[in-house]
Amino acid sequence: MANIQAFEKGGTKTYSIVEIVRGAPTTMADKGPDNTVFAFPIVAILEVLIALGMSVVLMFIALGKNAPLEELANPLVTTDPAKAPWYFMGLQELLEHMHPTIAGVLIPTLAVLFLIAVPYIDNTRAGAGKWFGAPREKRITLLTALYAVIVMVAYVLLDNAFPVRELLRAAVPAIVAQSIIPGLIMTILAALPALIVWRSRASAREILVALFTMLFVSAIVLTVIGFLFRGPGFKLYLPWDMPHGYNPLNNF
Amino acid sequence: MASLTNTITQSRVWRSFFRHGMPNNPLDRSLVMTTNIFFHLHPVKVNLKSLKATYSLGLGIITTFLFVSLSVSGILLMFYYVPTVERAYPNIVALQTQVPFGQLLRNLHRWGAHLMVLAAVLHMARVFYTGAYKPPREFNWIVGVLLLILTLGASFTGYLLPWDQLSFWAITVGTSIASYEPVMGSTVKKILLGGPEVGQEALTRFYALHIMVIPAIIFLLISLHIWRVRKDGGLAANEN
Repeated sequence: MANIQAFEKGGTKTYSIVEIVRGAPTTMADKGPDNTVFAFPIVAILEVLIALGMSVVLMFIALGKNAPLEELANPLVTTDPAKAPWYFMGLQELLEHMHPTIAGVLIPTLAVLFLIAVPYIDNTRAGAGKWFGAPREKRITLLTALYAVIVMVAYVLLDNAFPVRELLRAAVPAIVAQSIIPGLIMTILAALPALIVWRSRASAREILVALFTMLFVSAIVLTVIGFLFRGPGFKLYLPWDMPHGYNPLNNF
Repeated sequence: MASLTNTITQSRVWRSFFRHGMPNNPLDRSLVMTTNIFFHLHPVKVNLKSLKATYSLGLGIITTFLFVSLSVSGILLMFYYVPTVERAYPNIVALQTQVPFGQLLRNLHRWGAHLMVLAAVLHMARVFYTGAYKPPREFNWIVGVLLLILTLGASFTGYLLPWDQLSFWAITVGTSIASYEPVMGSTVKKILLGGPEVGQEALTRFYALHIMVIPAIIFLLISLHIWRVRKDGGLAANEN
């Protein structure tokens, strides 16, 4: 009795509501200790193991292959081909097919904005923390990836054989031939999987999977084409059959 | 032996360094995480699901490790490298031919950089396909996108430094892509290069960006990124 009185300030209530948590809590607060272990030392050990493993891998690569070093930079002698670093070769490949503002600015800007928007387009918590958590996700990913590989390779080859930009140069205004037509083709190609998924009463997640896979796989395909299959004159060749002894692998 | 260990770990000097006892009990295993600046980015307790290798593939830790490794090899390279048009290239040649392990050092930095870009891209794909960006982790996803862009920036600015034909023309091509932006493009290119084309000004600016500005921001954002993983309830694997 004496104890209770020590806490009381007039009244018999000995508890109070501090806060009402709306929706699912964002921390471990409600989850209790189930299935958890102390992070020390297991996490530290795993991190050290990964660091050691990566050190070994990196050391083997560094011992096996030297970093490239060509002649002293010479602004007067252009290399042929002149290529950007490998991770920008997808963009440089796009530059071959459409107006530079579309390929070099609009598409990368849209890609970054899309990536930033991803968690706000799909704001459900269902399926989080599971590989391919949505019902048809694995199928959508595989089919979209397959589609992206075929369509992007076909687009590069077709546009290389029948360059829309050049063929229409005389017939229509430059902005139509350089920007609008290639931009429309690219938009349709990129949006098609997402549109098909959307038609089948898909969740936001499933549409995002189609869009992200399209972006991710197209970027890989274009990067590989630009990096491995473009030779002197930025023309298409087989990587092992380049003229003038050019080896694309020396561009790393 | 045990008494010697005791004498050391009970000493005033030791206890002024480490404010916890031997981490072989729950209390000290909590304290080791919360009182250590490196460990405090991690949670005290982790869900066993988040430790499964097939879930995260360790790609975030791999990327972080590559960043640390690149910082170390980069600082060693800075001991030899001079960012001037006259001396950069001969420096690299001398590094490769005269400095002990110089070629190996440069190889480690070069391949590490390419691997870091690759690891960051794969990490993003992993986070996407596991739905790990979902609430409450939206903000951390954005930090991740920024980190990917900064990683590309770090690699791109470093690409110029050897000052050979490969780097010169790659940066010429790369920066000309930026100049196609109709409104700000030519201004951005001018700010990056410090002039109309790639020259000493560009080398100076790329060097400053490469060794200081971008790594400093990456360091801050990686810390935020990992700390935020803890604040958002650990890896998303916990959700199931």
